[in-house]
Amino acid sequence: MTAVAVTGIGVVSAFGVGLTPFWDGLVAGQSAVRQLARARVPGVELGAEVPALDVRAFAQTPLARRIDRTSLLALAACRLALADAGEPLAAVAPERASLVLGSALGNLGETESFLDRLFERGAGIPLVFPNLVMNAPLSYASIELGITGPTAFLSEGEVSGEAAIAWGAGLVADGIADVCLAGGADELDGVLCEVLRDARGFTGGTRPGEGAAVLILEPQARAEARGARVYARVVPHAGFGVPSGVHRWPHDGAAVAAGLAPLVADADLIVAAANGRAALDRVEAAALAQALGPGRRPAVTALRGAFGDFGCAGALATAAAAMAIATGTIPPAANAAHLDTRFDVVRGEARRGRVRSAVVSALARGGLCRPIRLDAAA
Amino acid sequence: MTRAVAVTGLGVVSALGGNVDALAAGLVDGRCGITPLRLFRHRGRANVAAEVPEDVAGFEVALDAPATRRLSRADRFALAAAEEACHDAGLDASLRGAAALYAGATTAGMRETEEAYRRQRAGEDRRFRVSRMLATPLSTPAAVVAQALGIFGPRGTFSTACSSSALAIAAGAEAIARGRARVVLAIGSDQLCRLTYAGFDSLQALDPEPCRPFDRDRRGLSLGEGAAALVLEDADHARARGARVRALVAGHGTATDAHHVTAPHPEGAGARRALEAALGGAGLPAQAVGYVNAHGSGTRHNDEVEVAVLRAVFGDRLPHVPVSSTKSQVGHCLAAAGAIEAVVTVVALERGLLPPTVNLRALDPAWADLDLVPRAGRRASLGVAVTSSSGFGGHNVTLVLARPEAL
Repeated sequence: MTAVAVTGIGVVSAFGVGLTPFWDGLVAGQSAVRQLARARVPGVELGAEVPALDVRAFAQTPLARRIDRTSLLALAACRLALADAGEPLAAVAPERASLVLGSALGNLGETESFLDRLFERGAGIPLVFPNLVMNAPLSYASIELGITGPTAFLSEGEVSGEAAIAWGAGLVADGIADVCLAGGADELDGVLCEVLRDARGFTGGTRPGEGAAVLILEPQARAEARGARVYARVVPHAGFGVPSGVHRWPHDGAAVAAGLAPLVADADLIVAAANGRAALDRVEAAALAQALGPGRRPAVTALRGAFGDFGCAGALATAAAAMAIATGTIPPAANAAHLDTRFDVVRGEARRGRVRSAVVSALARGGLCRPIRLDAAA
Repeated sequence: MTRAVAVTGLGVVSALGGNVDALAAGLVDGRCGITPLRLFRHRGRANVAAEVPEDVAGFEVALDAPATRRLSRADRFALAAAEEACHDAGLDASLRGAAALYAGATTAGMRETEEAYRRQRAGEDRRFRVSRMLATPLSTPAAVVAQALGIFGPRGTFSTACSSSALAIAAGAEAIARGRARVVLAIGSDQLCRLTYAGFDSLQALDPEPCRPFDRDRRGLSLGEGAAALVLEDADHARARGARVRALVAGHGTATDAHHVTAPHPEGAGARRALEAALGGAGLPAQAVGYVNAHGSGTRHNDEVEVAVLRAVFGDRLPHVPVSSTKSQVGHCLAAAGAIEAVVTVVALERGLLPPTVNLRALDPAWADLDLVPRAGRRASLGVAVTSSSGFGGHNVTLVLARPEAL
């Protein structure tokens, strides 16, 4: 299998547009959670919202001027990642370039306005309907960027971002793509906040959020030959299922541990999925403790408290893990009070030191684990 | 060195009935499952759809009571097809436990969610019925299947519009070919919902009458619903455990148009590359193909572009290669379409049956030379067949399927 290098990172988060505000904010131990503006509803005041994006800064074709917000978040992350990687698409045939995106819920805002109109007047809106197709971000980004190789769109609830990155890494590892953009996007809006409120979904420490992250993945040899910066390598992993209720978090820590054990055995850093909900945090902590075994205490951090909790938050967590390896800096856990004291949790300030390998622990309701393992390039 | 990929189990739910035999009987008879829309009221140009009969969706489910209550129709379709396929393949609990599960979905339980949303907005419910809002996440049907049948290998839910489950099958075949999985359950499931129906109708993409793919007077597609499941298996593994190898997935190809969010590329560039890649992967020339199960949606544009692609790849031989559209019988089942059509294609190979294109009254003069298998199914000995799927946004997938003794 071909070694898969991460050569570019594009992030659009509540910290702002770009990798720099995201990473600087995380390393400084800041939180991007604020009073909500767009998505605010009675009972849900706080969250991690992305500032308004300029469509024309990212969408160049006339077609893309009609882009929806989730697709724009994804497209912006794609363009930022390509720029960060030194525009690698210029040097590959379009059919050897791939794009894999993920989203848990897709285009919420326009789906709601479409339904409102449908219920009021009995008719749909032809200009909006194409944006409601779940893979609209994939369509817009492939058109804007001229990518004609294999593309895929994955929707895996809370691990949609990790699922897309893992799938993209597989395409590069198998020699199917010379460059693959992989990541995901999810948006937050008022209706989602209402639903979460009515489901009592945010009783823990973490707030709802939104954002996008995309990684540029290339064969490591190709990246080195063109002198590209290599942040880290992605070690492809197919993920695994565990027993769970259909809409519940996995409950069997031992089953999760069995799947995680080979990945975390020699990891220096674990970026936990922990989102402040007792049901998730408890099973994840039990699984990690069992997977690590006695005596192994790698650094643990958890970042959803900083950039919010949403379907593709794992893509941002993976971006942070790649940066931790590349810079030798581990951002502190945000809202870490709930994290288990059994672990060496990075608290308060960022920690400096070599990170040879990092695991993004990814758990979704319905019993799906989609961990990502990143290794240092050398 | 790649491994041979066998199909060892099939399951299907469609307007033609709740299992493979019902579907096969419908293919022979040339029955059209597209009837007046009953599931919800719609005011617009079109008012027909291929609905799954009511008695098919209700059955006992091996899940706890809250999870069972929350099942959407799409979840139930997926589970029914998956159970039939696993039973057909003779997968025991241990084989299921290690199997991978790849699914295709576009709206999952949107019908339940849009109704919960409507009720809350209309003031009929003070709060959102969160249990119904949970129907929407596209990963739900696969989670239902995984938990009810105990499938705990890798899992993925693909959403590339109308090629979603063809991509799930391609993904499963690739995992087996590369030796990463021995057994994969590939499924596709979608249900009719107001959002999709009104959306396609607003684009004037729906034929007011039951759709007429490849007809001179075709006016669009007819939406359908359903699910299909295929057990894919390492062929050596299947033979070693005495399972019947019903067909081989000999090749698959995936390519993207990068052209438009709804319209296909005018020359079908992506569809052609997907077809050529699938044949190339199978190591087969176009001459080996005895039947094409077309995407055949019945829109003016799709059918034109599709025939152009087939002419480019099959050349002068195309009039001798039967081409048909299953969508004329079961409607366009979106995420389920690719898997349903793969099941139809396996049935065609296995039973020596050319599936028909129904509702054909007057062939479009642009392809009067083609054999579109009008009206009813026809006997024919087949060795290799292809099935193609194209989705909104230009996501194309082609599968090459073959009888085991044909390769």
